[in-house]
Amino acid sequence: MKSKGARSFYLIPYYIWIALFVIAPIALVVYYSFFDLQGNLTLENYQNFFSSVYLRLTLSSFWYAFLVTFFSILIAYPTAYWLTKTKHKQLWLLLIIIPSWINLLLKTYAFIGIFGLYGPANKFLAAIGIGEQQILFTDFSFIFVSVYIFIPFMILPIFNSLDKLNPALMDASRDLGASSWMTFRKVIFPLTINGVKSGVQAVFIPALSLFVITRLIAGNKVITLGTAIEQQFLVTQNWGMGSTIAVFLILFMIIIMMLTGQREKGGSANGKTK
Amino acid sequence: MDTSIIRFENVSQIYDGAGPVLNDVSFELEKGKFYTLLGPSGCGKTTILRLIAGFITPTKGDVYIEGKKVNNIPANERQVNTVFQDYALFPHLNVFENVAFGLRIKKLKKAEVERRVKEALEFVNLKGYENREISEMSGGQRQRVAIARAIVNDPEVILLDEPLSALDLKLRTEMQYELRELQQRLGKTFIFVTHDQEEALAMSDEIFVMKAGEIQQSGTPMDIYDEPINRFVADFIGESNIVAGEMIEDYRVRFANKEFECVDQGLNPNEQVEIVIRPEDLEITSVSQGKMAVTVDTQLFRGVHFEISTIDEVGNEWLVHSTKKAEVGSLIGLDFDPEAIHVMRLNESEEAFDARLESYGAEADEK
Amino acid sequence: MEKLSKKAKVYLALVFFILYAPIFYLIFYSFNSGGTMSNFDGFTMEHYAAVFNDTRLLIILMNTVIIALLSSLISTAIGVLGAIGIVFLRNRKMRNAVLSLNNILIVSPDVIIGASFLILFTMIGVKLGFASVLISHIAFSIPIVVIMVLPKLQEMSSTLIDAAADLGATKRDILTRVIIPYIKPGIFAGFFLALTYSLDDFAVTFFVTGNGFSTLSVEIYSMARAGITLTINALSALIFVITLGLVVGYYFFNQRARNSIGTGGH
Repeated sequence: MKSKGARSFYLIPYYIWIALFVIAPIALVVYYSFFDLQGNLTLENYQNFFSSVYLRLTLSSFWYAFLVTFFSILIAYPTAYWLTKTKHKQLWLLLIIIPSWINLLLKTYAFIGIFGLYGPANKFLAAIGIGEQQILFTDFSFIFVSVYIFIPFMILPIFNSLDKLNPALMDASRDLGASSWMTFRKVIFPLTINGVKSGVQAVFIPALSLFVITRLIAGNKVITLGTAIEQQFLVTQNWGMGSTIAVFLILFMIIIMMLTGQREKGGSANGKTK
Repeated sequence: MDTSIIRFENVSQIYDGAGPVLNDVSFELEKGKFYTLLGPSGCGKTTILRLIAGFITPTKGDVYIEGKKVNNIPANERQVNTVFQDYALFPHLNVFENVAFGLRIKKLKKAEVERRVKEALEFVNLKGYENREISEMSGGQRQRVAIARAIVNDPEVILLDEPLSALDLKLRTEMQYELRELQQRLGKTFIFVTHDQEEALAMSDEIFVMKAGEIQQSGTPMDIYDEPINRFVADFIGESNIVAGEMIEDYRVRFANKEFECVDQGLNPNEQVEIVIRPEDLEITSVSQGKMAVTVDTQLFRGVHFEISTIDEVGNEWLVHSTKKAEVGSLIGLDFDPEAIHVMRLNESEEAFDARLESYGAEADEK
Repeated sequence: MEKLSKKAKVYLALVFFILYAPIFYLIFYSFNSGGTMSNFDGFTMEHYAAVFNDTRLLIILMNTVIIALLSSLISTAIGVLGAIGIVFLRNRKMRNAVLSLNNILIVSPDVIIGASFLILFTMIGVKLGFASVLISHIAFSIPIVVIMVLPKLQEMSSTLIDAAADLGATKRDILTRVIIPYIKPGIFAGFFLALTYSLDDFAVTFFVTGNGFSTLSVEIYSMARAGITLTINALSALIFVITLGLVVGYYFFNQRARNSIGTGGH
C-alpha cells in the first residue's frame, strides 16, 4: 500500500537513531567487557567483578541506594499526601518541582558550603552545644544530599497517584467503619503503591549510578557503581572493567524495573475510571 | 436516464482473524434520496459507509460511484463527504477554517472560499459564528458545523455516521427535521447510519435493515414497519408481538389455539409461520366481543398511552398500547382487524418475500 | 475538603525550607565580598562582573546554548516524525518493541549512556568535542521528544484524519494541516524538555567531551572540584533566574495554548 511506504519514511531517521544510539552502544559495552587492558579476549573482568573488592562495592552501592530511597519515601509520602490537600495544589507542586530544574551540580556545590567546616550546619551544631563536626565527606552528607536531590522525583509520582484517587473511596471506607489509619493502610496506600513504585524507579537506579555527588560530597571514595564506572573509564582508562561493571549495572536496572514494573490493570484502575 | 449513484456488487469485508463484517452485500442507491442503514452495533452499517467514503477497500466485490468502479480510489479523490459520529472537527481551527478546509485544499480563490463558507454556514443557521472556536460551540452547533463542512464541497453524496447519537433527545428530534429538510433543499443523496429505529422511520425515503453483515430487508419506512420480513426486523423496528402460528390455508391462520381470518395467501397448507401483531393494532374490549381472551399481567403509564402486558391462555405474551386503562389481574378481550395480522415465513429470502407481497397487491387490484 | 492540620503545615513548610534553603544560600553568598560561603563580609557585585568579564566562561556559555538549541531542534524533528511513525505502526508487537527501545535511553543511568557513547565515538572515529557532544545530546533527547508527543497523537481521534482525507486532503496535507497543528503543544513540550535536558546535562557531556570543548556544567564541575569560588555562586544565581523565567514562561505559554485549543473537539 502507498500509505505504508510514506509512513515508514517518517521512521527512517528514528530507526537509524535506535540502531546507532540504543542498540549499538549496549552491544559495544557488552563487547568491551570481554577485553582486558591489553586488548585480549578474556573473562578476567568478570572474574574480577566477583572478587571481594567489587562485591563489597556492589553491596555498599545497593545499601546506600536503599537508604536514599527509603528516606526519600519517608519524607516524600507525607509531603505528597498533604500537598494534595492544599488549596492551590498544582501551584505548590510546581514549587516542589522547580528546584529539580536547577542543575544538580549547583545544588551539590551548595552543600560543600553548607556542610563545610565553617558552614551554617556546623554553626548550628555549635550553637546547640554539640560542637563542630566533620560533616563533609561522610556517609551522612552523601545520603543527605542524595535524598535532597531526589525528593522531587519521589514526590511527583506519589502526588499524581494520590491526586487521581477517587475521594469517594475514602468516604466509602470511613462509611464502612474504618478509622483514618485503617483507611490509609487498606485503601489509600494500596491504591497509590504504583506511584511509590514509579518513585522508587526514579530514585533507586540513579542512586546506584550517580558519581557527581560522591565525587563532590563524599570525597574521592568509590562507593557507588556509577563512581566505579567513571573511575575505570576516565581515570584508570580500563574500559574493559568499566564495561563489565556497566553490564552489571544494566542487569540490576532491568531487575529493578521488573520488580517495580506495573501491570496495566492495577496501574490505570487507581480507583477511578478514565 | 441513469439515476443510480452508488452500487455495491457482492461486497464482502473481512478483517484478519475475524468473521466477515460484511457478507456478500449488493444494492443500488438512487440520486437525491435519503437512505438509512439501520441495525444494531456491529452489523456492518458503518463499514458500508467507510467503503463508500473510501477509508477502506473491499476485501471482495466492487463498489461503484456514478457507474465508475472506485475500489482503489482513495478517500481524498472521491466526490463524497462525511459527517462523523464525533463530528471530527479540527480543534485547532475555528468554525470558518473548519468549513473552509476542503476548499483550501482545492486551492480555491480567497473570495470564492469566503462566499461558499458563508453560504454553507447560513444554510445550517450558523451565520455570525465564523470566528468562534470549536470549543465554544455546543453539541448541536458542532453538529451543524460538521454538516456545513460536508456540504460546502458540493458532494454528490453525503454520508452521515450516527451524527445525532451524541445529542440529547429534544435536540435530536429537532435535528431530524432539519436534516430531512436540508436533504430536500439540497437534493443530494444522503446516506444515514443509525441504530435508532425511530430516527430511521422519521427521516428516510428508504431503509436498509442490517444484521450481522447482511441486509435483511430494504424498503420504505412504511413497508418495513407494516411488513417486516422476519422476526429480527419485526423486533428491531417498533415494538411487536411475535408468536408461533400455522397457516391452515389461504386467508386462514391459526395461533393462540384459535383460527383467525387474515389477508395472507400463497403459503403451503399447514406451514409453520410466525405471526406479528403491533401493540397499537390490538384493541381492548370485553371478553365476549374480543377475538381473544387475555389476562392483564402488568400495566405501565407511558404518557401517550398505557403499555399493558397481557397473557393468553396458552401463555403467549401480548403487549397492548391503549389509551384505555385496564385492571391488573382481570380478564379482558382483544380485538384486531385481519389486516393487522402479518404472517412471516421462516427463513424467507428478500426476493421471495417481495414477490409474495407483490402478488397480494395484484390480487387486491383484481378484486 | 478537610483542612490541613497544624502538624501538616509545619511539615510542609519544613520541606519547602529544606528544598529552597541551599539555593538561596548559594545566591546570598554570590553577593559576598569576603570570598567564602561562611562569613558574609559585605555586599558586592564583583562576582557577577567576574562572570561577564571572563571571556572563556562566556564562550563556554555560548557553546552550551548553541548545543542546547541545535540538539533540541534536531531531536524534535526526528522525534516528532518517529512518534507519528510509531502511532501508525499497525503491528502491535512491533509498536511495543519500538517503544521499549525508545525508553531505554530514558531509564538508563547517565554514566552508562556516557560510557557507551564514548566507546561508540572512539570506535567510529568521531573526534571528541563539539560534534560528539552535539550528537550525544541529540541522541538522548529524541526519546524524550517522542514521549512528550505520543500522548497528543494517541489522544487525536482517528476520525480527524478520516475527515481530512474525506475533504480531499492528501497525505502531505494531513501531516501539515492536521497532525502537526494538532500535536503542536506536545511538540513544544518536547522541544522545551529537550532544551532543559541538554542545558542540564553534565554526566554524558563529561564522558564524551574532549580537551578543547566544554559546556557550562562540565566547567562548573571542574571549578567545584577545585573548591569554593563565588563565581559559581554568581553563575547559579543567574541560572536560577533564567530557569525560573523559562519555567514560568513555559507554564503561561501552556496555559494559553490550553485555553485556545483546550477541550475542543469532543
